[in-house]
Amino acid sequence: MKSLIVIPALNEESSIQSVIEQLKSDQHCDILVVNDNSTDNTAQIVLNNNVDLLDLPLQLGAWGATQTGIRYGLKNGYDSVITMDADGQHISAGTKRLKQHLIDSHANVVIGTYTQRLSRPKRIAWWFFKTITHLKIEDLTSGFRIYDRKAMKILSSSAASLLDYQDVGVLLLLTKSGMKITETEVPMKNRQNGKSKIFYSWWMVLKYMIQTTTLCIAKTGGGYKKDKNS
Amino acid sequence: MNYTTANITTLLIGAILAITIFIMVRKDHLHGPFAIWWLAIACIAIVLGIFPIIVNKVAHYAGITYPPTLILVLAVSFILLKMLSQDLQRTLQEKKIRRLTQKMAILEKAIKDHETNNNKQ
Repeated sequence: MKSLIVIPALNEESSIQSVIEQLKSDQHCDILVVNDNSTDNTAQIVLNNNVDLLDLPLQLGAWGATQTGIRYGLKNGYDSVITMDADGQHISAGTKRLKQHLIDSHANVVIGTYTQRLSRPKRIAWWFFKTITHLKIEDLTSGFRIYDRKAMKILSSSAASLLDYQDVGVLLLLTKSGMKITETEVPMKNRQNGKSKIFYSWWMVLKYMIQTTTLCIAKTGGGYKKDKNS
Repeated sequence: MNYTTANITTLLIGAILAITIFIMVRKDHLHGPFAIWWLAIACIAIVLGIFPIIVNKVAHYAGITYPPTLILVLAVSFILLKMLSQDLQRTLQEKKIRRLTQKMAILEKAIKDHETNNNKQ
């Protein structure tokens, strides 16, 4: 199975080097970094390491960058795409486990979870979202995932282009489209540098909660038409 | 029919709006569907300026005792509708911009790879 590791990166010059080195040292698949219009040396570091790079001319956010990588993977004939964060919290060894789990479970999507990382407020938020969406997934926001070609096609469509985070919205779209999603526990490190992009200020949390709740209510239940053109 | 200064003001606003729209379209500052919306508003203002009785009649049928209220309510409703339609438009544009940005990055890489391959040969 030909896999592509997609790493969305926004100003990650302090961690991207070690992430790439680690992946390269025990890797079995191609690596693609999607530079989300960083203002630091992220792009240069990636190129110096001879790793494939997509340079976004405008900042699209984490999901926009990830989707770019998925579209690239689909276009270039990859069978699956593994997404991981550039901040070093996802460990290279986990990619093999995701890949193996995808093959064993016959699922379309496998989410790498690390339930210990969930803080109390996060647990409450996830419980809330799981209740209103009926999603049976432990870790809703883990960016450490593997998508097979079917899931890649769905996520490449323009129906997924207005999502802002790789979380509930993406999972709802996949479930609606009949994709099978499973989880597997993977080891993770605590973030080396920087904090969560979402959970760092109360204002952001409130904004995120309202936006995601609206999305959940609007997209849960049958009857919404899938956008086919891409 | 008795014309009041208010009617002439309405008429003038309508006329100036209409002329402005035509100038904007002429200078390519405003295009198609948007011009139609604003011209329609100008037409309504002109018609109401010439026939103020329409407002009184409609207000009467709608059970509104003070006719200017009708105009205000309608005006606010149309402004809300217009704003909503602008946000819908912006959402569509945002989607297009995002997809274009992605495609551009992918194409840029394809071109670069192609150039590197050519240089190697």
